[in-house]
Amino acid sequence: MKKSIILTTVVLPVMAMLMTACDWLLEPEPSQSVSEELALTTDANVKSVLNGAYSLFNEPGIYGGNILRNAELLAGNGEIKWVNEETYYEPYEFFTKTISAENQEVYIQWRDSYRVINAVNNVLSALDVVKPADRTWVEGEALFLRALVYFDLVRFFALPYEAGTINNQYGVPLILKPVRLINDEIYKGRNTVEEVYSQIITDLGDAAELLPDENGIFATRGAAMALLARVFLQKGDYQNARYAANEVISSGKYSLLPAYADIFNRNEPTKEDIFVAKIAYPREYNAMTVSFSSSAYGGYGFIEILDGHINIYPSGDKRAEMFYMDNGALRCGKWNNIYGCVNLIRLSEMFLIRAECNLRLGPPYVGASPVDDYNEVHVRAGLPAAGSVILDDIILERRCELAFEGHRIHDIKRLKQSIGVWGYKNPKLVFPVPAREIRNNPALQSQQNAGY
Amino acid sequence: MNHIGADFMKKLIAVIIILSGAVLMLDAQQKTVTGKVFCSGTRQPLAGAEVEIKGTGNTVKTDEGGFYSLNVQEGEVLIFRCSGRRSREITVGTSDVVNAELDIDYAGLENDIETGYGLRRKSKITGTITKIEGSALRNIPVTTVDIALQGRAPGLFIGQVNGKVAAMSRIMIRGTSSVYATSQPLFIIDGIPISAESVNFSGAPVNPFTTVITSDIESVEILRDASSAAIYGARGANGVIIINTRKGYSGDTRIDFTVRSGFSEPSRLREFMNADEYVTYLREAAKNGDLMFDRYFGYEPGTITFCRDEIENRLKTYSGWAAVINNSGRFLRSEVSTDWQDLAFKKGRIWSADLSARGGNEKLRYSAGSSYLRNDGILVSNGIEKMSARMRIDNKVSRLIDLGFSLSINRAGINQVSPDNDYSSPLQLVAQAPITPPRDENDELSSFPVTSYYNALLDVEYTSRKITEYRSLANGYINLNIMEGLSWKNEVGFDLYSNKENARYGEKTMEGLGRSGYGFANQGQNQNITGRSILLYNSRINDIVLNSLLGAEFQHTSVETMYTEGERFASDALKTIASAGWISGGSSTLANYGFLAGFFRVNADKDGKYLLSLSGRVEGSSRFGKNNKCGFFPGISAGWIITEEKFMSAVSFLSFLKVKAGYGIAGNSGFGNYWHLGLYNSDNYDDVQGLVPGQVANPDLKWESLKEINGGIEFGFIKDRISGEIVIYRRKATDILLEEEIPSMTGYQSMIKNSGAIQNKGFEFGLNTINKTGSFEWKTGLIFSFNRNEVLSLGRNNLLDFGGENYMNVAMTGYPIGSFYGAEYAGVDYNTGDALWYINEKDVNGEIINPGKTTSNFKSANYVILGNPNPEYTGAITNTLSYRGFELVFTFQGVAGNKIHLAGDRWMASNGFWVDNQLKSQLRSWKTKGDITDVPQARLLWENGNQSRSSRYLSDGSYLKLRDVALSYTVPSGIISKLNIRNLQLFVQGRNLLTITRYEGWDPEVSADFMVNNIFSGIDFYSAPQPRTVIFGITLGF
Repeated sequence: MKKSIILTTVVLPVMAMLMTACDWLLEPEPSQSVSEELALTTDANVKSVLNGAYSLFNEPGIYGGNILRNAELLAGNGEIKWVNEETYYEPYEFFTKTISAENQEVYIQWRDSYRVINAVNNVLSALDVVKPADRTWVEGEALFLRALVYFDLVRFFALPYEAGTINNQYGVPLILKPVRLINDEIYKGRNTVEEVYSQIITDLGDAAELLPDENGIFATRGAAMALLARVFLQKGDYQNARYAANEVISSGKYSLLPAYADIFNRNEPTKEDIFVAKIAYPREYNAMTVSFSSSAYGGYGFIEILDGHINIYPSGDKRAEMFYMDNGALRCGKWNNIYGCVNLIRLSEMFLIRAECNLRLGPPYVGASPVDDYNEVHVRAGLPAAGSVILDDIILERRCELAFEGHRIHDIKRLKQSIGVWGYKNPKLVFPVPAREIRNNPALQSQQNAGY
Repeated sequence: MNHIGADFMKKLIAVIIILSGAVLMLDAQQKTVTGKVFCSGTRQPLAGAEVEIKGTGNTVKTDEGGFYSLNVQEGEVLIFRCSGRRSREITVGTSDVVNAELDIDYAGLENDIETGYGLRRKSKITGTITKIEGSALRNIPVTTVDIALQGRAPGLFIGQVNGKVAAMSRIMIRGTSSVYATSQPLFIIDGIPISAESVNFSGAPVNPFTTVITSDIESVEILRDASSAAIYGARGANGVIIINTRKGYSGDTRIDFTVRSGFSEPSRLREFMNADEYVTYLREAAKNGDLMFDRYFGYEPGTITFCRDEIENRLKTYSGWAAVINNSGRFLRSEVSTDWQDLAFKKGRIWSADLSARGGNEKLRYSAGSSYLRNDGILVSNGIEKMSARMRIDNKVSRLIDLGFSLSINRAGINQVSPDNDYSSPLQLVAQAPITPPRDENDELSSFPVTSYYNALLDVEYTSRKITEYRSLANGYINLNIMEGLSWKNEVGFDLYSNKENARYGEKTMEGLGRSGYGFANQGQNQNITGRSILLYNSRINDIVLNSLLGAEFQHTSVETMYTEGERFASDALKTIASAGWISGGSSTLANYGFLAGFFRVNADKDGKYLLSLSGRVEGSSRFGKNNKCGFFPGISAGWIITEEKFMSAVSFLSFLKVKAGYGIAGNSGFGNYWHLGLYNSDNYDDVQGLVPGQVANPDLKWESLKEINGGIEFGFIKDRISGEIVIYRRKATDILLEEEIPSMTGYQSMIKNSGAIQNKGFEFGLNTINKTGSFEWKTGLIFSFNRNEVLSLGRNNLLDFGGENYMNVAMTGYPIGSFYGAEYAGVDYNTGDALWYINEKDVNGEIINPGKTTSNFKSANYVILGNPNPEYTGAITNTLSYRGFELVFTFQGVAGNKIHLAGDRWMASNGFWVDNQLKSQLRSWKTKGDITDVPQARLLWENGNQSRSSRYLSDGSYLKLRDVALSYTVPSGIISKLNIRNLQLFVQGRNLLTITRYEGWDPEVSADFMVNNIFSGIDFYSAPQPRTVIFGITLGF
């Protein structure tokens, strides 16, 4: 009896004391990081995660520059040259179209893209804690980023969208919910190209509804519309592309700069920029500058421009003056500021989209006639106004106006052209699903792209 | 009938009366027994021996003459006990005299051993625990206590990573059982689990035991098997090392004072080329290099002079003012031949002193001490100065309450040098050309480009890297002796381990160059609070003695760091960051973790021969995921003391025999905090703060689990003059943490999962013999152990290889962890001088299809397992010889079965690939067709066998060291007692006096300090050898 009294009086208080210590001891919150539970519980934190999504979008491996570089290398044939064949051979594989499924640059693009997607999916999952007044733009920005990333994933990792057919070729896995646990559900296979495009269009349509017209350096309604125009154009849906491009142009929020050279190497976006990736000094760097510019500007000069490119410009074209000689190598002057913005969407592209679609669809023209839109861009380059245009003129104008901004390979695929011996549907112009992803995901095991 | 009946009744009553009378008489036959207790060997009487009537607690002590007297009854059992003797039980017979001769307890069977939260007599222990007496460690000339334990327990491997002062050590009990978690045992000092991770930021990592006392240690207990360590639950898997400091005692105050002084020097050196050899060798390498270019481009031999021109230019540059040049400007030779290796070392002085006082009375006992140590080390600009003070008070307040406090404060100031892979690490000096004078004409240190590499001596003169470490250990306890057999023990402990660094690199040093000097200040702090409450209950059920305990324990630890750095100092004399022209960076970090546990143990002892121990611990930790917040860690072991059986009494030569077996499950949670949580890290966009998902949650993350079967025998022959133990074990660690790749479309690339398995099995053997007794006494202690490690599973992988081109330790299933994996060197092609490797191509079954076939193309050689960095055999033998006041103790300690990767030899034994000075062995290089040698032709700029991942650079790491030698003379008390001196001892002690090894590097006790973990070990990369130390000392006791 005595013993049991002692045991009760001694043991119970001790146990009680320990129970109260339990949380303090066993569930300490980290200090250098924030636990998942906390990160998505307040308005301010969810907005921070959204900003984090932008910082991931801004990684050098993707929109910090290399997604444009990769596109240019894939399109490269006779117009550029990659000089570091041995020491930095992985980008060189894009140039030679001999990409290995183990290529780390391919993996980085895939990985960094999905990191953005996971971050925005987390934001979208926690909209209910965002202040109601801010919910629209938070959701809009998240949807915009997701659409932007999926559009590039599907363009790089899948065979091209072919208008008028059932696009049931493999696209990329559509992950639309945040990943919180590694369980069987995460092992997803690839959706079809059609499914991916339709998700992109849905997201962008919603984003355009939700986003404000003015939003600093962040996504705007204009950015969503402009990207939508680009997506429709890629699909060959000229009606909608024309409409979306017109929305952007007629919004009056953007204007062409008088001097072409002023658009580039700017630390802040200009009136012509619809959407950029902003590079913070001094922590970050513009990866396009690293590859394209000389050491004088902080680059490594991996990419040299060949005469084959310069020859496409008509004489007197001020855009040809962007190129400069550096120790015997010709370089592109669009990328000379290591802290400059990466220009992702510019207004002149919208003029050219509207012009192309209007021309293809014929009158009644939306917004302006093809030749007027063409001349907006053409004349700004210091060239005489054209009296009339045909499709080839517009396509050439795109090449000149948007050179080395990551457009060419996608235009080739869209226009069913070819690069040297590689036709638009050649599997060598499509990135492989990274071997690492196939190794680690049974659902992808039989879904590698042809040719790998 | 009636008559008869009455008669019968009378008789019956008479019988009953007589019988009961007899009973009464028996009952009254309480008699006084006297006797003498004496030593069985010397027949000397034993004073102060205890004589107890078994089962009653009645105890008397013997007088000066060994006599006792006691009231007992016939048939009762007397237990005789005396310190240092085996106890003995004698049944009282008819005689009034019961003499007892007690054997010397050579095997220490009567000693109490700390088993974790409680003591148990050694003879009754059923786990595998080694006790090391503090007296054996007292004068060993080492800076950290862990190193003093080398070669003192079977199954315990301790290797210091290099010969820098306060260098880290690798400590393992029964091998490595982890990949990413620690394999270091749990260290407990006076009940406090101490922080045992290095916290410094700059230079080589500092051994965390630097701030743990080395003197005043009462005992060290090593819990080797999981059935013993299971009571430490989630942290017991790697074994437990319990250090207890000396307590006070009841009696006259004793003061002991020891001073020591000595010196140390490198225990081994390597032989490098002198200036002439260097110049000749390099010219030959350059000539051969040019010929290779000719062949490559298809030119006439002799066309290309690129290598030769380059080398002539460099020789001229490197010899600086010492160049001797002929009329045509051609370099002839240098006037100097610098021994750079010699410049990296110095003769280190050592001074140390300890002062301690102990005493007290029945109520209050105390023990106090302070120590000082200064060790200059053997490397230039290295050195340490340590101070410590400690105090311990135990107070018996009343019959009900005991309480006590202890406090120790330790400070170590270290002049730290760089890690082994840093150009500024002193031993990297050996790469310099021997033709280079260390100083220029103005007596300034030579530097680049006169020196071929950064001159590490610049760091000696222009860098100060002071690390000051502090450790305060405090604990307090209160025991309530609630009733007979039941007590309640409450204890709190506090361990504050902090670190302060001020590093300042002058403008000429590598770190300070080009930015007018560089400096930083760093502070780190590990603060650790523990508390426990334990109920101890001793009881007896029939003839089973039970010792039980029930307890709860918590630990909370916070780890903080802060640092700031700056550059652009106006002068090298400005020492702190406040004077920096630009404060270039700063940071602070904080992490917390905690453990909470409840545990019990029951020790049962039937008849003193059947033993059982059963324990269990439930433990939770902040490091575990929410689905596995708590683990249960049981331990069970049983023993049978066969010599206590009646039938064994005839076997007189066998004095002790116990068989024991146990099984236990212990955990390892020595891994990162927050690994189980889903985490967001900060990352900015456009300088606006943001949060990005950084780590995916793993709510299943838990401890690594170690299951072990352990069994063995303990024996004693010839009255324990020969005693020892043999133990075998198999420990299998499962749920080993591994980083596993996950599809990156999740937004994450990998997660830490419990998925691997590692097994260790082996046996351990310990033997103590008393070879000679009498005035000349000779004792021998021998330990030997064998351990085989095998990686059983690496989750979804078979191989973890992070070695790149330079290192070759890997984890591969089926092989010991850390095995060397590289190309198998096949020597030199005697026709061409090319290095050759075995191709070792394997078929699908893993069989080599072309044994013996070689290639000169390194890339065609397939990697194979080439050796194990961890010794399979470890052992030590200690002999103690004493005669009158003299005592000589010497210990040989050795390891075998391991290899060491001479990773630095790809530069210093590269047969002239580059301008690094070469070892003399490279003079053996292939010269002409037909030369049979193991060193390929010298070819400047052409890789010819100097690829690091090759068995060419593996060397046998087995060694036998004369680890400790101590010669002492204790002055007879008759002489000194007149001077009121209780004890006077003179001694000389040596360490690492002799190393027997085939190892080609400096010292086979090595693991480059920048790369030590479970996989990477046994790498020698410009790593300093252990010092050879001799100290002289005197101990005075009052």
